[in-house]
Amino acid sequence: MRDFDFLEPATVGEASRMLADLGDDCRVIAGGTALMLGMRQRMLTPTHLVSLGRLDALRGIEFDEQSGLRIGALALHADLARSPLVQARYPMLASMASRVANPQVRNQGTLGGNLCYADPATDPPGCLMALQAQVVVSGSGGERVLGIEEFCVDYYTTALEPDEVVTEIRIPPLPADAVGQYARFLRTAAEHRPLASVAVVARRAGAVCVEARLAVGAATPIALRLRRAEAFLSGKTVTPDVAAEAADIIAADIEPVSDLRGAADYRRDMVRIVARRTIAGLFGLASNQGTTHE
Amino acid sequence: MSKHLIDITVNGEAHSVKVPSRRLLADLLRDDLHLTGTKRGCETGICGACSVLVDGEVVKSCLTLAVQVKGRAVTTVEGLSQNGELHPLQQCFMEHGGLQCGYCTPGFLMTSCAMLAHNPHPTEAEVRAGLNGNLCRCTGYNGIVESILVASEKMRGN
Repeated sequence: MRDFDFLEPATVGEASRMLADLGDDCRVIAGGTALMLGMRQRMLTPTHLVSLGRLDALRGIEFDEQSGLRIGALALHADLARSPLVQARYPMLASMASRVANPQVRNQGTLGGNLCYADPATDPPGCLMALQAQVVVSGSGGERVLGIEEFCVDYYTTALEPDEVVTEIRIPPLPADAVGQYARFLRTAAEHRPLASVAVVARRAGAVCVEARLAVGAATPIALRLRRAEAFLSGKTVTPDVAAEAADIIAADIEPVSDLRGAADYRRDMVRIVARRTIAGLFGLASNQGTTHE
Repeated sequence: MSKHLIDITVNGEAHSVKVPSRRLLADLLRDDLHLTGTKRGCETGICGACSVLVDGEVVKSCLTLAVQVKGRAVTTVEGLSQNGELHPLQQCFMEHGGLQCGYCTPGFLMTSCAMLAHNPHPTEAEVRAGLNGNLCRCTGYNGIVESILVASEKMRGN
């Protein structure tokens, strides 16, 4: 690994000024689990790292009935997974966080860092899209609040300006009739990265889907909402056939990537299966046959 | 390039070490402090042979910069035994076929140590899930899982 200077700003403003001054030669480090890999393989050779480690304002997880959940950008995946608050209010988020990568990475990797790295083969973005999360960023131009869909621009690309850092992630309160699930498919049980993921938040009145938010992740260059399938489900009584048709719409509306983990057609099929089972499962329909997913 | 004087507690002992920014925690432990129990395995964050505890939580020391653990308490495999007595996990790994070549063992011990601190009574499935970040290429894992389950019983006083 090439040598570099390790800078430890005490405020977000100071961090932002460092980023502005150093430009492309520097990288932000939070937990560092992804960055270290890139640097050790010399895919990234920054001359400076700007550490957020001293910015305690970026820590913590809080809930308010009106504004919802505030997750400090430096919250660890393990913090989210173990938080009684998150487990009680957003169980799908806690469940997702408990499955990211492996225990060691969950103890070091941060939610903010995960979003900024924008690696497609990861869990949080799709789950956060179904939860309609917002990403708060701060830089020399002040603070901006971006929807998670606006923040995730493309493969390894976010809407962050060069001098901006993510300070927090916000998730609005869920309606009382909402149910949600984050499901994913791994090529083998030992894989650390999903081949495909499906996140669903649905407002349910008995067997009727009042409203649904659907997102696919890991199968596509960036996670994305599936609005045609959402509209299809809205107001429908969910039967096994309806769940299957919604899953077909989702599978038709994505353009999966092909890589070592799987070819595009395989990913499309796995998305279809995971989506059908997840939607059916949320509406209490037995759906547990064939290929396993978690 | 910047150097940093870091204060760090390792296995209960305070150290003050001057390191370049790029020094990894694994290298600080092995090369500066000569604690060679922690292994460098894949060095790409996959195998978990370099797992150590930082403030009680397991991390991969090959993905951690030494400067990131400034002021914190690190526990390595050398810190497990107390007063010449092996830790129950170490004893159980010996007795239940938890190792063959032994290279991955320090990592498995540290991961399982943190696992049992969080969950003193894990199911077999929970043990297997908790070992997701560690690779062993000799044992096939059954011996490791059994070692941890037996150790968890011992540590609960059964």
